[in-house]
Amino acid sequence: MANVDSALEVIDLAKDYPGTGHGTGRGIRPISFSLKTGTFFTLLGPSGCGKTTTLRCVAGLEQPDEGMVRLGRDVLFDARHGTNVALNRRNIGMVFQSYAIWPHMTVFENVAFPLRVSRDRTYGAAEVERLVGGALETVNLAGFQGRSPTQLSGGQQQRVALARAIVRSPRLLLLDEPLSNLDAKLRDEMRNELKRLQQQIGVTTIYVTHDQSEALEMSDMIAVINQGQLMQIGSPREIYFRPRDAFVAGFMGSTNLLTGTIAGSVPENGVATVKLTGGQVVKCQFPNPTSSVKPIAISVRPEAIDLRQTNAPPRDGWNRLIGTVVSAGFLGQTNRYNVRVGDLHLQSRTGPETNFTSGESVAVEFSVMNAIGLATADGKVGTDGPAQRIEPGNNSK
Amino acid sequence: MKQVAVVGAAGMRPRRRAQSSWRGSGLTIWLPAGIMTMVLAILVLPPIGVLLQTSLTEVNETGGAGSFTLAHYAALLADPKLYSSAWNSVIFAAMATGVSLFFGGALAWIVERTNAPLRPLAYVTAFVSLGTPYVIYVSAWLFLLGRAGPINDLYRQFSGSSGIIFNVYSMAGMVLVEGFLWSPLVFLLLSAAFRRANADMEEAARMCGASVFRTFWHISLRLAQPAIIGIGLFVFIRNLESFDVPVLIGTPGRVNLLTTDIYLSITQIPPLLGHASAFSVVLIAVVAVLLYFYGRISRNADRYASITGKGYRPRPFDLGRARWLGGAVILLNFVVILALPLLAVLWNSFMPFVRPMNLAGLRLLTMENYLAVLYETSYVQLAVNTIFVSALAATLAIFLTVIAGWLAVRRWPGGATLDQITSIPLVFPGIVLGVAMMEIALWSPLPLYGTLWLISIAFVIRYMPYGMRYAYSGVLQIHRELEEAAGVAGASQLAILRRIVAPLLSPAIIAGWLFIFLLGARELSIAVLLAGPESQTMAVAMFDQWSNGQGAEASALGAAWTVLMTICACSLYFVVRRQSDMVAGS
Repeated sequence: MANVDSALEVIDLAKDYPGTGHGTGRGIRPISFSLKTGTFFTLLGPSGCGKTTTLRCVAGLEQPDEGMVRLGRDVLFDARHGTNVALNRRNIGMVFQSYAIWPHMTVFENVAFPLRVSRDRTYGAAEVERLVGGALETVNLAGFQGRSPTQLSGGQQQRVALARAIVRSPRLLLLDEPLSNLDAKLRDEMRNELKRLQQQIGVTTIYVTHDQSEALEMSDMIAVINQGQLMQIGSPREIYFRPRDAFVAGFMGSTNLLTGTIAGSVPENGVATVKLTGGQVVKCQFPNPTSSVKPIAISVRPEAIDLRQTNAPPRDGWNRLIGTVVSAGFLGQTNRYNVRVGDLHLQSRTGPETNFTSGESVAVEFSVMNAIGLATADGKVGTDGPAQRIEPGNNSK
Repeated sequence: MKQVAVVGAAGMRPRRRAQSSWRGSGLTIWLPAGIMTMVLAILVLPPIGVLLQTSLTEVNETGGAGSFTLAHYAALLADPKLYSSAWNSVIFAAMATGVSLFFGGALAWIVERTNAPLRPLAYVTAFVSLGTPYVIYVSAWLFLLGRAGPINDLYRQFSGSSGIIFNVYSMAGMVLVEGFLWSPLVFLLLSAAFRRANADMEEAARMCGASVFRTFWHISLRLAQPAIIGIGLFVFIRNLESFDVPVLIGTPGRVNLLTTDIYLSITQIPPLLGHASAFSVVLIAVVAVLLYFYGRISRNADRYASITGKGYRPRPFDLGRARWLGGAVILLNFVVILALPLLAVLWNSFMPFVRPMNLAGLRLLTMENYLAVLYETSYVQLAVNTIFVSALAATLAIFLTVIAGWLAVRRWPGGATLDQITSIPLVFPGIVLGVAMMEIALWSPLPLYGTLWLISIAFVIRYMPYGMRYAYSGVLQIHRELEEAAGVAGASQLAILRRIVAPLLSPAIIAGWLFIFLLGARELSIAVLLAGPESQTMAVAMFDQWSNGQGAEASALGAAWTVLMTICACSLYFVVRRQSDMVAGS
């Protein structure tokens, strides 16, 4: 459907809400990204970080203070030239968090609304019928035309909202936490559905969520935002495996953060030796350029930490620390361990075959490739804490 | 702290706030509120202006306007009658407020928070009484408590004397009748407050071992206190402005109040326009001060109530055997507020003249009054007039306030001003607005005086604040994203208002329309000054009949009219019910 040029370019978009204090509001700092036609792009971050504001700025529901938004060849907004295309002339499809299905209209009338109020052209009755039918079919709601939206389940309302957003073949699809009001099972189902649908119609899509697993599974590209600032932008793998800082590492999934200082300078290949706060020495890699003077943190995912018998032979390219099991939990397909190494408390998630008990002495091993050195410039990791684990769920509410 | 410092350090360049939103920019976003402000200002401001001007202008020999003077104010303030009337007004308003708060409050708590039987009866009582013209009520009470009424009649039979035990034409009579008149509304307002209250708090007190009474006294009442004070002040202001009871009871009983003084000074010949205007300005000032405090209190009360809100399931107290006592209170309320007055009206309407209620009277039963009412074309004309005036006023007021409320809630530039302008008419007591509109009609080059149009405009001004409350809270209930979705879908602002907001608002629109229609249909104080021979309304006609001693015919007219208005009031009740159901269900 959407084979027109719908590359989106956002340059230095910024919005400030006066009177909301520093960084606490929903404002955004200058943010830039450009998306190729058909990209599924996710704005990810904790609530209040400005991701929805960014989305609303693109939609035209908020007016940015600065920057430029360009869709294909059309400039939608440009602060410098005072350009601001009214939102009802942007031809953008949007699904709202509350779905915003109009309760006084039938499903058909809801979906047909964008066609009825279109200013580009008028649609004949037969054409409206055909387009609405097509959109409903795309979202698997064929035959629901005459229903009242109040009789629909949450998932069905969601689909109506989606059908309404795509009925006019928009050049851009905006999704504002569309799954947050669904129950867990339905959410999983709709994830796949949304992704399939987006690929089917090939529309450039911006998706807003605070759920990192949603973002990882669905996106071609993710932007992590915190306190109005773009922290990192990249593919899901990049974001997950090569986080730029402690915030991104923590937000993308639970992780162990080990603080320390770099011994010497970072060599060309990015692998450096780090002296941890507790005195242990480990090797890790630095995917991003780092000055060697500052305190740094090493992020190691729980699933990257292997527990072995203390007498097991050491492996090449692996770090080894000796610790004591504090607690052990059996979760079926995995075991969860809390291990104390000096002052450090590390979380490890291992396969079901390991079997250690509390108090047991173990070798804590992780590969150099899985130990990511991070700058701590954002102040998220202090020099005082031995290790910090950020559960993603805690940030979401 | 460190985080804040880091974020702050990056610093954003100061920017000029753009005066636009997704709804539009530049002129288009200022225009709607600008136009509405002008329209509403043209309606609301002239009454105050004309009162001020008249009160500060001399009347010369020819009756025309003379030079600037403070004489009206000086004369007013030098007159000792002002102070006795003011004192009477305050006493009357305070005591009547006490009566209605006690009566309506107790009833509201029993109905909302206990398992007493007959609870729906309280609502029926309240809604039917909303549809009954005050004149009818007052005259029914005058009959019941009066010389020929059953109370004094019984007294005479048992004591053998020919005197009376209770003189209704007194301050006590006025307080009692006014208190009864307002208790249904107090009941409705307070029951909403009690309904919102969190049952957990009362249950916690019960779990601590408190009795039902102690829980009521220390918890329920304290929680509802801000609401009670707010409603009390509101009723006090309304009582201060009230006209029906003072003119029907106070004037014959020689108890003068501020409102009746204004009425007398404007209806005597020649009318003392300057004096009445100065009087009105003073009354407006007093009401404005009271309203200011009311606004502050009610804002707090709302905040208090919104803490609770969602997830609430009504868990009424189990009164045990005392529930029948609660039922008795509800029944008593029904009898006193509704059954007795209506019975009195019916009795009078079937009697050839006003006479005591007893078996002997049954021989005199006659349909003559009804036949007179139904066959006299002038009465039909009255009904048509009243319905026309009220319907026109309700339509205009709702039309204006829906747009104003939408602009205000959605924070269009200038929308906040609209909210303030629409609340200005609250400072006009009905009689004062009547005086002001009369003066405007006298100044105006258009032949407005004595027309239904003038009354309609006065009603629009008077009831604008009520329409605004319905529209404002109605728009608040519409999720912002419903409008944003329409905007994204390509709809213009006008299309959003017409195709999304108005249909979703329709329950509030209907409820608000009916409410204003009912208020207009029974309004006396404005209409009594503005009605000409060709533009009489029902309330005015009944007032005249009652004043002229045609009590029986007035009663028949009142009974027929009450039936009609009760139907309207009941539909109001169902609309309101459905509206709250819809909101709860969404």
